[in-house]
Amino acid sequence: MRNPIDALVERMARGLARRVSRRGFLGNVGALLFSAAGLPLLPVARGASPAAAGPAAAADRGDPQTCEYWRHCAIDGFLCACCGGSAHSCPPGTEASAVTWVGTCHNPSDGHDYIVSYNDCCGKSECGRCLCNRNEGDKPLYMPFKSNDYNWCAGSKVGISYHCSTARVVGVAK
Amino acid sequence: MKLGPFCAGVIAVACSPGALQPKAAQAIMLTPPVQANYMLNCMGCHLADGSGAAGKVPSVRDSLVVLSRSSAGRRYLVQVPGASQSPLSDLELAQVLSWMVRNLSARPVPADFAEFTAAEVAAYRRSPLVDVRQTRARLLEAD
Repeated sequence: MRNPIDALVERMARGLARRVSRRGFLGNVGALLFSAAGLPLLPVARGASPAAAGPAAAADRGDPQTCEYWRHCAIDGFLCACCGGSAHSCPPGTEASAVTWVGTCHNPSDGHDYIVSYNDCCGKSECGRCLCNRNEGDKPLYMPFKSNDYNWCAGSKVGISYHCSTARVVGVAK
Repeated sequence: MKLGPFCAGVIAVACSPGALQPKAAQAIMLTPPVQANYMLNCMGCHLADGSGAAGKVPSVRDSLVVLSRSSAGRRYLVQVPGASQSPLSDLELAQVLSWMVRNLSARPVPADFAEFTAAEVAAYRRSPLVDVRQTRARLLEAD
């Protein structure tokens, strides 16, 4: 006696084979895949998304793993982009110190001065890669909120161990 | 369902010249100057929302409205070292303080809130506040 499930599947398969040519089926599957990839390109209310603080991708030139990258104009420490993180995120196992210092960097690609927050990543020993010490706008320690010589991990919740520094764009000064 | 016409439409849109051109450069939205001054001179410690860091930097969210009600509180807000010693001019500092009261307070700002003025800042700023913590505690304990 035939299993009823076998019979049902056979009936459906034979029906499908009668109705659909192999090429037509493959063509439709291909078209479906293509259109699925194409749909995100359709103009769907992108104008409504809020403007990001950072520059457009085309105007964000340079390598975040180099000291010369425009956002690093006032950084003092190891670049997190070389340490498993990025210019704006901490490597795994570290935590950003919320308390930090804030300055501006000129982006030569679009001519704007961006407000950059130099949050240190804390909780692990020093990363040791890509040491970068640029001091545009840096002030002596007696102006603490304008000095990059502080270990800003003193303001973190995970302790004073300094690992690396990020450069987060938080606004546009001019 | 025939997928042909639908896919032709998708291809037409996806391959049209407009779709293939890079998006026009987004207009950069400048940060309002008063907020930029807060970011550059205060936000590093007080954070974007004024909440600070517990045990290290006091939150301003509950204290701004209380302090800005009395002349002694307003004097404190101008004289506190981070404010009085900032590189901001008297007018800029007055604008930043008013902006903070209006934008960082967790409490409702009273309708009769008086904006800080450059003259008020100039009057208070030149005399130093020595005992910051005790002054702050005394001003807030009545609340």
